[in-house]
Amino acid sequence: MSKHARETIMKYVFMLAATASIMAVLLICVFLFWNGIPAMAEIGPFNFLLGRVWAPADTPQLFGILPMVLGSIYVTAGAIIVGVPIGILTAIFMAKFCSPTLYKILKPATQLLAGIPSIVYGFFGLVVIVPFVREVFGEHFGGSGQSIFTASILLGIMILPTIIGVSEAAIRAVPDSYYEASVAMGASHERSVFWAVVPAASSGIMTSVILGIGRAIGETMAVILVAGNQARMPTGLFRGARTLTANIVMEMGYAAELHREALIATGVVLFVFILIINLLFNLLRGRKKY
Amino acid sequence: MNKLLALVVIVTLVLAALVGCAQGGQASQDNPTTQGTESPQSVVDQDASNFNTNREITVISRESGSGTRGAFIELTGVEVRGEDGTVTDMTSLEATIGNGTNAIMTNVSSDVYAIGYISTGSVNDTIRPLSVDGVAPTAENILAGSYVIARPFIIVTAEDIDPLTREFIDFIMSELGQEIVAERYIPAVLNAPAFQSAGHSGTIVIGGSTSVAPVMERLSEGYRALNPNANIEVHVSGSGAGITGTIDGLLDIGMSSREIRDSEMEQLGQQITICMDGIAVIVNNNNPITDITSEQVRQVFTGELSRWADIQ
Repeated sequence: MSKHARETIMKYVFMLAATASIMAVLLICVFLFWNGIPAMAEIGPFNFLLGRVWAPADTPQLFGILPMVLGSIYVTAGAIIVGVPIGILTAIFMAKFCSPTLYKILKPATQLLAGIPSIVYGFFGLVVIVPFVREVFGEHFGGSGQSIFTASILLGIMILPTIIGVSEAAIRAVPDSYYEASVAMGASHERSVFWAVVPAASSGIMTSVILGIGRAIGETMAVILVAGNQARMPTGLFRGARTLTANIVMEMGYAAELHREALIATGVVLFVFILIINLLFNLLRGRKKY
Repeated sequence: MNKLLALVVIVTLVLAALVGCAQGGQASQDNPTTQGTESPQSVVDQDASNFNTNREITVISRESGSGTRGAFIELTGVEVRGEDGTVTDMTSLEATIGNGTNAIMTNVSSDVYAIGYISTGSVNDTIRPLSVDGVAPTAENILAGSYVIARPFIIVTAEDIDPLTREFIDFIMSELGQEIVAERYIPAVLNAPAFQSAGHSGTIVIGGSTSVAPVMERLSEGYRALNPNANIEVHVSGSGAGITGTIDGLLDIGMSSREIRDSEMEQLGQQITICMDGIAVIVNNNNPITDITSEQVRQVFTGELSRWADIQ
């Protein structure tokens, strides 16, 4: 075989490898929209997206996913409130304040946090956080401990490795000249870090937050175990809610016909959410400095 | 210095977390006023005194579409059927939803104020089944028909049936068939006879209840292992369709998860109860309540009763 022919063959092998992931995304898109859009049309886009009642087993059936859309948004927002401050402060500490010895422990620890399977997080939440919330808040606020609050704490912990990892890299990417200039002007170490280095890394930090949102909104197994999964409009911080992902997983096993298609359409909505998040991510990366 | 400080902080955090876990786990068992050696009975009494009846009931249900949920809401009247053909599942919207029997049991065993329901075949000592209307959900009571949250799995056939269908029914009611049934349900016959296949060939068409279909699939697999000449088709269409299909001669065997009406029985040859499906209402082991009425079960699961004090 001539060298030229081998070149050509390998070129196509690499091209095939490169197109595999694009094909996967395209196929998933086609599958989702092909199955989901007709169901949405049959239910009626407004009845589907803004309907407040989800009752697939009733006659007539009702497929309103607004409770799940709000559930996903509330739980994700809660996770951001819990996870972002802890994550960013940890990243700043690790990049600028931490001793090398402690860093050797902290870095693998946060990476390990990313490697724990989500079902293990969920079980931890169910046997530790849920009883804790029930004991501490149940008396005054009611609820069984399975709530938006519990899910937010758990997801807040789960998005920490994403936020810490990306933020730390962004802070480390800021050239030392920023810090040195600030110190030379007479600012203390703390002031230099918080007022010169961190603002310069802000787009990278925002990226970490968006990636965290993506992780939180797509999380399924952990949320099912701690969120209560009530398919009704969220009624309070210490009451349960059902997320879009939970809705799909819980009912897919039994669903048939329109119910099944409605669940796929729920997947379409989730997919659009993720697309928006990715779009934001790309926009930020477009103007990213560090 | 910094290193030492960080180490101290980490150790403190880990210890605090561990202590928090330990307290969370024992909170329902500790009673600060009494200590020392206690008999098991007084431990139960302590828990009963810790049980705050003014707390809300944590209602735990299965997901929509689950067979157990379908049977439960139908048998307890949580499901409301209107004159105009509408069916509404009135399960409280505040009910926590667990997907799967294990999720329900984990939830109930970890929450003193929880109530849930599972198939009687899955009951173990991590949770406690309640007596309904004074009757415990035991196999004997369910077979005797005194436990109300239970339903029969019935098969019906026309007047005259071919030898293959006859043999398949014999298989279901034999020792082997009832063993398959007993994996999930309560067998209808306790000392079932042994089974020997004569090797008839042909096709049996079975149709009807979605609840009976899974166990019928298992039975047909079991039968085909003994008689490979037989071909068995199991169609899923609902109890009503299974019965009318058998009356019209479209099906050899109809499956039903409800009692056969007299008007239907007049047009059928026979009905055989192959097993019973019972659903136990379960609570936490530390819950002092042991008995509930069927009306209270309905009210709890529709959200009309929301506090444990309402049940006592």
